[in-house]
Amino acid sequence: MAHDAWMLRLAPLAFVLLATQVAMPVAMPAANETPVRVTTDSGAYCQELVVRIAAQPNPGSDIRLLAEEGKRLCETGHVRTGIAKLRRALRATQQGS
Amino acid sequence: MVLWWNTAGALDRQVEASIRADATALVERRRAGDIGALVSAIEDRLALDVANEALYLLLGPDNRRLAGNLSAWPVEASGEQPWMRIPLERDGAMTEARLLRVDLGDGHRLLVGRDVAEKLRLRALLSEGIAWAASASAGLAVLGAWLLRRALENRLRPVYRTAAAVASGDLSPRVPLTERGDEFDKLGATMNAMLDRIAQLMEGVRGVSDAIAHDLRTPIARARAKLEEAQASAEDEAALRAAIEQGIADLDGIARVFQAVLRIAEVEAGARRAAFRPTDLSPMLADVAELYGASAEAHDQHLVAEIPERLPLVGDRDLLGQALVNLLDNALKFTPEGGTVRLAARLGPDAVEIAVSDDGPGMPEADRRRAGERFFRADSARSTPGSGLGLSLVRAVAALHAGEVLLTDTHPGAERPGLTVTLRLPSA
Repeated sequence: MAHDAWMLRLAPLAFVLLATQVAMPVAMPAANETPVRVTTDSGAYCQELVVRIAAQPNPGSDIRLLAEEGKRLCETGHVRTGIAKLRRALRATQQGS
Repeated sequence: MVLWWNTAGALDRQVEASIRADATALVERRRAGDIGALVSAIEDRLALDVANEALYLLLGPDNRRLAGNLSAWPVEASGEQPWMRIPLERDGAMTEARLLRVDLGDGHRLLVGRDVAEKLRLRALLSEGIAWAASASAGLAVLGAWLLRRALENRLRPVYRTAAAVASGDLSPRVPLTERGDEFDKLGATMNAMLDRIAQLMEGVRGVSDAIAHDLRTPIARARAKLEEAQASAEDEAALRAAIEQGIADLDGIARVFQAVLRIAEVEAGARRAAFRPTDLSPMLADVAELYGASAEAHDQHLVAEIPERLPLVGDRDLLGQALVNLLDNALKFTPEGGTVRLAARLGPDAVEIAVSDDGPGMPEADRRRAGERFFRADSARSTPGSGLGLSLVRAVAALHAGEVLLTDTHPGAERPGLTVTLRLPSA
């Protein structure tokens, strides 16, 4: 009985949630399709960013530290976090120049 | 929906605006330089994308990947619509991307987009908040409606009960009123007034039925008895003929009573209001006064008329004439030989007053209240001929003209106070 009462109470909520999901559906891949993948969440891209930073003239010590931290994170398997640090370092070099 | 449009909907519009601006800038870059400049611009954008949301894919005319961070050209991007949502794999997890396709014109194709995973999470949070708020509002609305309905039912229950009792044939119950004086009390009071009026009308109808049965039975029985007696004992044809003529006269009298009752009913129903015209009563009063003056002289009575030059009003001239004739008939009937009947008319600021006064025995206060009921005859009038319908017609005519009938003593305090009947009608 208590379960039924909860179901009754949550019915309007479920209705509204369903309505919003129907109004803006989330895309799902077809069963026989290989989904598109993001190629920049990889160790190779980490290396590419490291090379880019190294090519910048006279990066400051803070930037160097940030870049090294990013590189280390990539090497220890925390690729996305490492890439974020490297990107931040790269942005800092460009803002500095 | 408005809340949704202003919150979760705004996130989508923000993403689309960002993509559109990025795509426009890249197209401009392609126009300004060669394809290498565009490739360089895309790589720079990806390298500086700290939020890790930007998505690009540039394909050459030979479908070769030139730049970008998408692994393949999605199936959805080959459709007709430039905007699309696609599923996206990221670190082994599925998310969603919003993309815009741009055809660069020389065989190169470009996709610009954003990973909207964060936006989707935020949208889900907002949706849940809106859903809870909507559910709470709906719950409060239902509770409020239920409370309101119960309060209405409680306040209207006495009205239902009274109406049900009346519908079942009992006209005596009335709606109990509270001291609040609100709309429901006004409704109850109006309903009570309506029931009082219905009861009064029912009583009137019952009284008229009884009166017709009682007052017409006597003349019909008398006429029948006379005809029976003539049939049994008439000695010659002349006596028989005289008895038949008497019978016809009696039946004519009964027919006149019926006609009077029907006319009163017609006037009370307002059927004659269509005949209302602007009219001047002075000439009509003068004519009637002249006619009844001669009749009064024949009975050694005096009729004194005081009629102004003009008495304008809007009404039915014939009905008003009939009412005046009834009043003068009554006055002359109850005025003794040598007495005076006075017809006085006056034009007031907002009403015309026509008063007919006599020197008769007058009418007790108790009888005045009943005067005007059909077939009502005061005890002092039992000995004079009449049907008890004359003043009923006068009252009905006055009511039809939104006027009133006032009964007063002609000589207050005298042994024979007489009666003055004043017909007061709104002037034009």
